[in-house]
Amino acid sequence: MIEINDLRLSFGSNEVLKGIDLSIEKGQVTVIIGPSGSGKTTLLRCINLLEIPTEGMLRIGDSALSFREGNKPGRGDILAFRRKTGMVFQSYNLFPHMTALQNVMEAQVIVQKKSRAEAKERSMELLGKVGLAGKADSYPHQLSGGQQQRVGIARAMGIGPELLLFDEPTSALDPELVGEVLKVIKELAVEGMTMAIVTHEMKFASQVADRIVFMDEGIIMEQGSPNEVLNHPAQERTRQFLSLLSEPV
Amino acid sequence: MNDRTAHLTDIFIDSFVPLLMAGIKFTIPLTIISFILGFVLAFLTALARLSRWSILQRVAWFYVWIIRGTPLLVQLFIIFYGLPSIGVVIDAFTAAVIGFSISVGAYGSEIMRAAIQSIAKGQWEAAYSVGMTRSQALRRIVLPQAARVSLPPLANSFISLLKDTSLAATVTLTELFQKGQQITAVVYEPLLLYCEVALIYLIFSTVLSALQHQLEHRFDRYAAR
Repeated sequence: MIEINDLRLSFGSNEVLKGIDLSIEKGQVTVIIGPSGSGKTTLLRCINLLEIPTEGMLRIGDSALSFREGNKPGRGDILAFRRKTGMVFQSYNLFPHMTALQNVMEAQVIVQKKSRAEAKERSMELLGKVGLAGKADSYPHQLSGGQQQRVGIARAMGIGPELLLFDEPTSALDPELVGEVLKVIKELAVEGMTMAIVTHEMKFASQVADRIVFMDEGIIMEQGSPNEVLNHPAQERTRQFLSLLSEPV
Repeated sequence: MNDRTAHLTDIFIDSFVPLLMAGIKFTIPLTIISFILGFVLAFLTALARLSRWSILQRVAWFYVWIIRGTPLLVQLFIIFYGLPSIGVVIDAFTAAVIGFSISVGAYGSEIMRAAIQSIAKGQWEAAYSVGMTRSQALRRIVLPQAARVSLPPLANSFISLLKDTSLAATVTLTELFQKGQQITAVVYEPLLLYCEVALIYLIFSTVLSALQHQLEHRFDRYAAR
């Protein structure tokens, strides 16, 4: 359903992604792990087109975009493609001048041109799903980090994406707030939401992932089921990385 | 109360209404009209500075460079005394409005540009990630936040403008300051009269500060602190 072919991204002479091939089946949860600087966040940002790849191909469903040196897709194509994905950011990036409800409604009204009533109904449903129906009228600064991130998830879900991307969704959270966010993600996984998640929470990864992808230095070193990658890694680099994580898997 | 004090008190009281009227008739409208026009000009200039088209960026940069780099008084003289020699005759009030608007436009555009640029990149990215276009992201997400950031410095320029309108006296406009000069010429009490003029400016600017405070308070409901 989602296909990434030979995706490359360079900033000047610095090649950050060196040819990524990855496919994600509908309803699958793919967890991307790897040391910092390995390009995993950049890969997510490329799928969301916050970074425009230098070369390669991206396909979601039946729409595909090709990238070549010096040839960027048009703005309309980028927008249309981006609207098939939702992004949850490490630092939430909620809109501070809007309530939780308005944060979730905004794109539905402005981008999808839904009526306010329709957008509100859908948004309340999503806030309920992330356990925050009671906080609909709170502004972001009145919410805890975990609550803000759950609003962030509802906002990303609001546009009805085919693929939900999570960029280290719990890294900015106090430890006691991590669980409530992971719980919401697990529930989405059970419902069959297609997701790609960059995380350092290995226990969570082993529970939620259908596939684990290990990235290092801009390439995918190894991928497979959680059991394969986490417990029986084929690559030396994967073993090194996993042994550096103090957390028992 | 001795005669001298009684005399000064009379002058003060007699002058107060004419001075206040000059302020209400000229200083206040001049300030408000110039600020509104200047605000629009500042906004357009800020957008031009941030636009993707380099020609717009350069025009905006040039405008700000000229206006910030030359004295407002000289600009007013060029408009009012200079332009007639090439056949452009403008009445004093209009000339003052043009001069002040252009000035507010230049300084204000820098305030707005800085405010827009102060909004975290993550806000743009979040807006893009839910499918917004650049202009939707600007209008719905960035500008409302930038407005809050730019309010105190813009209120500052508004109050500066109020006081700068005294320069319009030099292009024959009988606004508050010139009225003070005229009365001084008759009663010859410069210390008293100019202090009275200053007092009336202070009253006006105090009212404006109070308005600013109210506006900031309205923005505060979403302020994280």
